[in-house]
Amino acid sequence: MSSFQDARTLPRDTVLSPDLAIVGGGPAGISLALALAESGQNILLLESGGRTFEADVQKLYEGSQTGVPYIALDGGRLRYLGGSTNHWGGWTRPLDKIDFENRKGMPYFGWPFRRDAIEPYFARAQSLIEAGPWIYDEADNVISGNGPLLRLGPGGIYTSWFQFSRTRDNNLPTHFGDRYQADLIKAARITPLLNANVTAIRLSPDAGRVTQLDVATLSGNRLTVKPRYTVLAAGAIENARLMLASNDVTTAGVGNGNDLVGRFFADHPIPRNVATLVLFDEGISPLYFNNVALPDGAVMRAVLSPRQEFMRAHGVAGSLTTVENEAKLDAFATAAVVTTAQALGVDASHAKAYSLGCGMEMAPDPDRRLTLRTERDALGMPRLNLHMTISDDDFTLFRQTLTELGRQLLAAKSGMLHISYNRRDEWLEAMDWGNHHLGTTRMHGDPKQGVVDANSKVHGIGNLYVAGSSVFPTYGSSNPTLNLVALTLRLADHLKKVMA
Amino acid sequence: MTRRGVLAGLAAVLALAGGAAWKFRLFAKHYPSTPYDDLLDQITDREPAIVFGQAARNSLPGAAQLAAELRRDRRSLGERAAAEPGEAQIAEVAGWVVPQSVARYAALAAQA
Repeated sequence: MSSFQDARTLPRDTVLSPDLAIVGGGPAGISLALALAESGQNILLLESGGRTFEADVQKLYEGSQTGVPYIALDGGRLRYLGGSTNHWGGWTRPLDKIDFENRKGMPYFGWPFRRDAIEPYFARAQSLIEAGPWIYDEADNVISGNGPLLRLGPGGIYTSWFQFSRTRDNNLPTHFGDRYQADLIKAARITPLLNANVTAIRLSPDAGRVTQLDVATLSGNRLTVKPRYTVLAAGAIENARLMLASNDVTTAGVGNGNDLVGRFFADHPIPRNVATLVLFDEGISPLYFNNVALPDGAVMRAVLSPRQEFMRAHGVAGSLTTVENEAKLDAFATAAVVTTAQALGVDASHAKAYSLGCGMEMAPDPDRRLTLRTERDALGMPRLNLHMTISDDDFTLFRQTLTELGRQLLAAKSGMLHISYNRRDEWLEAMDWGNHHLGTTRMHGDPKQGVVDANSKVHGIGNLYVAGSSVFPTYGSSNPTLNLVALTLRLADHLKKVMA
Repeated sequence: MTRRGVLAGLAAVLALAGGAAWKFRLFAKHYPSTPYDDLLDQITDREPAIVFGQAARNSLPGAAQLAAELRRDRRSLGERAAAEPGEAQIAEVAGWVVPQSVARYAALAAQA
């Protein structure tokens, strides 16, 4: 049995020498620590915050932005035990096979392995996020009594399924800090250290190994950690910041010999009201509208996705289109519906309309990046600037998916679709974001194209790894938590071997 | 005259009247004659088609050419509208994804 320790109360200049230091107590860090709890290694879990939100800790996240408007850097993530699971929505879905593929004509797409490599870890990841039994796209065979699925003609779009992290008495889904703090305490070889901010990664003179981590507290205490192995699990923004700012041995920063750290930042754009779905003669099943709880504990919601064959054939990126609210049709829209329905020979006198939302996949872009500023935070760490971009192609490709959905509705004579936006400024005006930070330490087998290798080890550094969605080289459209936890469990298996 | 005879006669008169109304489209909406009525008569309700067609007409040829093109396909509007989504023959009119022929007939209605 260990217990939570507080870095503010340890004697100044304490030196800790764990086998493994995990930087960050979010879903990746906690999953990794728990997966290695019985490995015989001593694990130090360094969390910047405490067990609850504190404004002065959160302020350490502040930064600036250029380019396309984006959520403030201290607005979309949380810096205390459990990390951003403290405000996540619980949407879960595994990445698809195509998300791992190198895709013709789509630069930078692809992982260094296929989905098979993380499939063995999905079941445990699903259990950790408490999303119930693994159902997802088998739901068509499981769910009945909630009305028929949307009738679509043959084509590239199909009804796919999200599951949700379990809710408790209408509370938000699994918060990793609350949910697993007892397990962390119970594990004899895990030492969770709160209020411990890693401010520098120190490398050996040849830059081949991490020799120590500098740790500071907002109260002014200073500690040193000398781990055999280190895993950065502080999120895609902080992982990059820490690596870039640790530039005493290699001036470009740790693992940044090829100027890749901080590049390829991504999120899931979720523009609002992207389309209006009109159904001629039937309302839509509540499965598309609400989260539906099944007797076995799974909570499901139907969405509309492009099939992998369609994505390959048309060079389309991933997306998940959701049915949001009932909508009203104006006179012109009514004219469009009446004219089309009459031509198709169907009665639209009871037609219903719904607004659609979506989560889009962005194409990787090296210019969408984090860089250090001269301004520093309360711990002396340089603050970040995020240069945000989104290409016109991202909108164009998603529009193709919506057009295909419209075509299939017509083919089935079940309804029709209005696409809301055409111009870039219209898309941007409707833009919101998923707060899914991705890609800044991307994974690739070639050090010139990625920061970490296929085992999540930083290229060229023998004992430094990165966990979490910052290693995602291609993002898919699925929410990242389930996938990053599965990937972290795979890393845990790798570390068991190399640390033994 | 028996009661049964009166009812039968009444039914026959009503049937004849209904048939005449159908035959001569007594209750159908009537529009000014145009050179394109062979096409436009396939539109069930022309007013909404005219409204919708206003948005479609700018990206399509003028009425005479459009009508000539539509006449080349011997299928009816209904047949074409049903078939075109499966043939990927679709158009986008002010954001609405519709069968190509729906856009073209509506544009013709707006110009006629």
